[in-house]
Amino acid sequence: MRKILAIVMVGIRQNLADPVYMMFTLFMPIMMTWVMSFLPSEVYEMAILGVLVMFVALNIITSAGGYIIDEKKNGTWQRMLSGTTGHWHILCAYFIRLFVTAKIQALILILSGKFIFNAPWDHGIFSIIVVLSVYIFAMTGLGLFLAGFLKTQGQVQAIAMGIVMIGTMLGGVFFPIDNANVIIRSIAKVSPQSFAALALKDIFTANAPLDNFVTQLIWMLAIGALLLFGGVIKLKTEA
Amino acid sequence: MIYVALLEITDLKKTYGRRKAVDGISFNVDEGEIYGILGPNGAGKSTTLSMICGLITPQGGSIKVGGFDISKDPVKAKRLIGVVPQETALYPMLSAKENLRFFGTINGINASKINEAVSKALMIVGLENRANGRISKFSGGMKRRLNIAAGLIHEPKLLIMDEPTVGIDPQSRNHILNTVKELKKGGMTVIYTSHYVEEVEYLCDRITVMDHGRIISEGTLIELMKKESEFQKLTINCGRVPNECNDIIKQLPFVEEVVSFSDYIDIITSNAEKILPVAFIEIIKRGGSVSEIKIQKPDLESLFLKLTGRTLRNGEV
Repeated sequence: MRKILAIVMVGIRQNLADPVYMMFTLFMPIMMTWVMSFLPSEVYEMAILGVLVMFVALNIITSAGGYIIDEKKNGTWQRMLSGTTGHWHILCAYFIRLFVTAKIQALILILSGKFIFNAPWDHGIFSIIVVLSVYIFAMTGLGLFLAGFLKTQGQVQAIAMGIVMIGTMLGGVFFPIDNANVIIRSIAKVSPQSFAALALKDIFTANAPLDNFVTQLIWMLAIGALLLFGGVIKLKTEA
Repeated sequence: MIYVALLEITDLKKTYGRRKAVDGISFNVDEGEIYGILGPNGAGKSTTLSMICGLITPQGGSIKVGGFDISKDPVKAKRLIGVVPQETALYPMLSAKENLRFFGTINGINASKINEAVSKALMIVGLENRANGRISKFSGGMKRRLNIAAGLIHEPKLLIMDEPTVGIDPQSRNHILNTVKELKKGGMTVIYTSHYVEEVEYLCDRITVMDHGRIISEGTLIELMKKESEFQKLTINCGRVPNECNDIIKQLPFVEEVVSFSDYIDIITSNAEKILPVAFIEIIKRGGSVSEIKIQKPDLESLFLKLTGRTLRNGEV
């Protein structure tokens, strides 16, 4: 456990020491939330939750691949693996680091939405924690899965932008898709970003019970676990 | 009592596609010795070292460290190994002390012993006064020394050093070479690879020369030189080496290998006296101007050239 904790702490220190990372994960989404707050009240709530789920996903996917590529480039990845720390320890530490930083990011964005931009969110703290945790878990699984296949920062950026933008933009998060074509509505049905933003909105504004989202939560957990397992196996066999 | 080498490598193999990166090599490294591995780029040195460290899984053969098979008992085997990679594998935003604490922790040092281990490692590499300095502010030589400290932090029995002096100033280089000597005095076993022949000559008790994934010669420096003692190195300084000279001299009898540089040509030959006039005429005929001729006994560099047809620093001739 000490080894895992040490890797997590060094990782978080790296994040805090990187101004670009801080700008990308906190400053930019807060700015976008501020921009969204000028939208008409019937759409801005969904839009600022869209910003949240989009930036959380971007953070996780770019970080998962980026951390591993950076460590490999620096040689610290090889140095860790040549010691007595196993793959599972290292990947467990990466998972915790991604999960914790994404949680902190989501929390800051929710608090800024509520207290700075006056979003009318008063309900369902426990449900919010559950939905966000499952969403972040699924995205972390996807991030570590992709990390096993991507070899350069350029590939990570391109794939992350592609996946997150398609999932968010076409997932009905920023504009209504009731009258959109069948392809866009199909993407919205399977997009985790779409599910997370809609569920968060229903919980925040209508205090919707978790029971309403059980199927989607199980689906996201299953997909997250499958991807995580695939990613870990790929990273392990790579050596 | 049964004698066991600290590192036993038997019939080690690794293939990438059709290319045999390591082709059935075997060697032992005894406790307390410095074992040098020489080879041009692509010889299979790094792949071999990566397999010893457990970073790459071999496709055949076995690696035993202190009697533990790296495939079957990786944790026990790895506990005995310290690695000093070619690049400075450290976190630049952390201080020297924080880096060593981190690598000590992930190598299993207890919290109660970590401070002592960090101080000891810093002292060995002479950085105890820079313990709290952020390493992004360190010079290249200091980073290299800290890189060594990170490999030593858990007091391994076998230290693997992959070209630890590349690209650093002479002062830091001397410091590192002296550190390796001191480690040997303390009983440490070291595997050392370098492109600098003089470092290998200075440090290593035994040397292996690798090329194309195979060991082509192994022994102490004296043994290697004896094997090749019938050869001489003929160096002709000719201002500018004419283009075709290399190929023509290579065809001559008694010539083992030829390598030309911008202003001189090295010839490995078993009969320098016979070759010299012919080579001299060929150079002059082609517009070269001979200014200096040296006939030397073989050194490790010329031995390497003869064995591999390549120079250590310039790759393929």
